[in-house]
Amino acid sequence: MVSFVSAQTQRDSITFDPQKQLNAAQSILSGNFGKKVTLGGYGEITYNQPEALNGELDVQRLVLLVGYKFNDKAQFVTEIEFEHVEEVYVEQAFVNYSIGDNTSLRGGLMLVPMGIVNEYHEPTTFNGTERPSIDNVIVPTTWREIGVGVTGRFPEISLGYQAYVFNGFKSTTPDGEGGVNGVLKGSNALRGGRQKAIRSTIDSPTLSFKADYYGLPGLRLGLSGYFGSTQAADEIETLEGANIGISMVGLDARYAFKRFTARGQFIYASISGSQQYNALTGRDLGSAIQGFYVEGGYNLLSLRAKQRLIAFARYENYDTHAATQGDLQPNDAFNRTDITAGVSYHIASGVVLKGDYQFRNNKSDAKVANRANFGIGVWF
Amino acid sequence: MFKNVLIIFSFMAFLSGFSIPSKVTKKADKAISKFYETSNFTKQNILVSELLNTKTSSDFSQGRLFKISSEDTFLGYGYLGNAPSKTATYDYLILFDENFVITKSKVLIYREEYGGEISSTRWLKQFTGTVIGEDTLVYNDDIIPISGATISVQSMTLAINNLLSSLQQLQKQNAL
Repeated sequence: MVSFVSAQTQRDSITFDPQKQLNAAQSILSGNFGKKVTLGGYGEITYNQPEALNGELDVQRLVLLVGYKFNDKAQFVTEIEFEHVEEVYVEQAFVNYSIGDNTSLRGGLMLVPMGIVNEYHEPTTFNGTERPSIDNVIVPTTWREIGVGVTGRFPEISLGYQAYVFNGFKSTTPDGEGGVNGVLKGSNALRGGRQKAIRSTIDSPTLSFKADYYGLPGLRLGLSGYFGSTQAADEIETLEGANIGISMVGLDARYAFKRFTARGQFIYASISGSQQYNALTGRDLGSAIQGFYVEGGYNLLSLRAKQRLIAFARYENYDTHAATQGDLQPNDAFNRTDITAGVSYHIASGVVLKGDYQFRNNKSDAKVANRANFGIGVWF
Repeated sequence: MFKNVLIIFSFMAFLSGFSIPSKVTKKADKAISKFYETSNFTKQNILVSELLNTKTSSDFSQGRLFKISSEDTFLGYGYLGNAPSKTATYDYLILFDENFVITKSKVLIYREEYGGEISSTRWLKQFTGTVIGEDTLVYNDDIIPISGATISVQSMTLAINNLLSSLQQLQKQNAL
């Protein structure tokens, strides 16, 4: 065979080959590098059936992802989301600019990296029809705001990092009569305060970071932090209690070994100024919220099979009155424990059928109905 | 006649050689130099005929597969590959010893925002020692997954499996 010393070569011109570009549908769908446009999406269709009550059928989410690669360095990513069929949101819309092989700058509407599910929320990536309750009540998924930051990784030490300056939550809105409405409440703390980049108010930036370590085989560890205040409008910001401060930290772990998978998460947030906020708004916001879950799963099918049938169980404890300030007595109904057991049947990579049962308890006498959930999830 | 065919072949090989960006080859050279602890090495391309190349699942166009020598000492083989992540592609380098046992694997350039965890030196180590002709590597069984990088992990596993079986094909055709 003929052989000769290689010449240093330039990037090929294949992407500009008109014959290749004629094959537009394929190139868009394959989404490969150099074809510039990426289309994708995910969706969840769910059925919740509480004991002794009527059930609910819902297209909980349908999200269309569109990406455009301007060149090797600059890319735009956006996710347009339909919630419950009729509510439209832009969930992500950011420009990623690569400044090195392992470092990128980002700006726009982005996900706040906290815990596992806020960033990895496609239905095929987690067990259970519903996201873990912690990732609803403690971490208000899908939590996103406008910001700028840097993301990258150090391959030599298997460490990834993200650091952003984001806009924050809103805790109060003017009621139009010189007073305020409080949008944060005891049962789900920060969830009502997400501004979702809808003509959002900014007063003081908040800081967010996450470090991911994936150097131990099969294990991935995350440490997240979020620090800042809420953003009251000009006409009410001088009122005592109009803003609160948030310091949130999260630890998460994911592990996989052959047929066995496990994951867990712990989130704690302290909320400063909750006493003044509650006095101003009449709300019952706690001064600390926290929660954790542990989950184990086992694939009942052969590892060589194309399908996966994962039986799983998850234990969650979360409390949005982990601490309270002033006269506010902790509400035991907010100290909740959910046990979820079920199966995730991946009939193809990217398509999952889910079924599970949730035992829902809290420390008070007020009972919440247990429920069965079923779902169809896709991600492509 | 034979000479003309040879010229055409070489010309085609030359053209297809443009598929490797210089940035990638530079990074590969750096990794090779580091692995063999010498900056004094030469790469000699192994030319695979167009016909044979279309039959193998791995791409052996010009410049991708090569012998590495330092002065007169034969050090091993190298392969420069390109494989898809979810929305982009990445470039990787595989080094083999003289018996085509993997001695080093490295992700040279990873372009997408997600899945870059496969660049982890420690994760890539599990490919070291893999031999042509042995069983194919099975994701999740032989190859440990990385949460949050499933697509890229599967892609890299497939790329290595394809490479090993393609090299075996070349061996059978006495093309190595």
